[in-house]
Amino acid sequence: MTRKKIFRTVILSAIGAIILSAGIALYLFNKPHRDVQAATVDYTLSSSALVEEYLASAEKANDKYLSDEGNSKILAIKGKVQSVSVDLNGQVVLLLKEDGEKAGVSCTFTAQTNEYAGRIQPGQVVTVKGVIRSGAGYDEDLELYEDVIVEKCDIIN
Amino acid sequence: MKKTTFLSITMLAFALVAFRPAATKLVSKAGHISFYSHTAVEDITANNYKVTSTIETTTGDVVFSAPMQSFEFEKALMQEHFNSKDFLNTKEFPKAKFTGKITNLSAIDFSKDGTYDAAVTGELTLKETTKPVNAKGTVTVKGSSVIVDTKFNLTLSDYGIVFKKGKPSTNVAKEVEVAVHAEHSAE
Repeated sequence: MTRKKIFRTVILSAIGAIILSAGIALYLFNKPHRDVQAATVDYTLSSSALVEEYLASAEKANDKYLSDEGNSKILAIKGKVQSVSVDLNGQVVLLLKEDGEKAGVSCTFTAQTNEYAGRIQPGQVVTVKGVIRSGAGYDEDLELYEDVIVEKCDIIN
Repeated sequence: MKKTTFLSITMLAFALVAFRPAATKLVSKAGHISFYSHTAVEDITANNYKVTSTIETTTGDVVFSAPMQSFEFEKALMQEHFNSKDFLNTKEFPKAKFTGKITNLSAIDFSKDGTYDAAVTGELTLKETTKPVNAKGTVTVKGSSVIVDTKFNLTLSDYGIVFKKGKPSTNVAKEVEVAVHAEHSAE
């Protein structure tokens, strides 16, 4: 190999490396959000069990269900629908809560799943798949119980 | 005797109705908080529609609680950075809270429809840091609902959110604009 050839190989591989790393950077920068509905369910449980877990120890429950970078656990939650509403973002929200419970599980649907969820009637028992955002608990300043918040939901039964 | 009993019962009933404290604490379970960061490199916005808040119309107390993982960004990577330990560490601190008071309560007539200018002073807790926040906004009374709108600027370094390395230092503004909209009604 001549000196020229070696030089050319080095330059070409350097250019190749730059293009590759720029491509990876661009891919990471523009990578899509996690598709919650396509992902596997981490835990299957009832809305009451989830609320109880949080009321028993929010710290333990957060440690179990929340993830560092916000891609928290995907849950399949079975419960009785107490109310059906629409939030300020136009998404359907089902509150899963048994009569007499202090807190429930608030499930927010998406543009793709609103239509079916919006036809659910209070009193129906459904299983909802979604990602957990925050837990239930009593807030002394609000003077009320906050619900578990689950988003990107769909009904899976 | 019968007449007096009847009269006193009537009076008692009247007194109970007349002096019963009105339900003055209004609740919103689906408020909207957004923030906006502007730099020459890029503009970033995030939206959260899962904010719980209360407004006590007799004392002017307002409380907001925001589940941090409900902030949604256009780019997945930014959302991950936001939630990570280097930024807001939302696994350890899943909620942000504001507690405050409307300082010009007498200027707001909660029994009359209309939009009133309001000033709020209070404290915001992000991660483990609590700092005073003053904000101006409006309170809109519409029938039995009370809508709160406000905008204020937040200096990230006040809350220990600093970027020592990597991209965010140039892409995220030192000061972000926070906008709040919440529609309260009786529980």
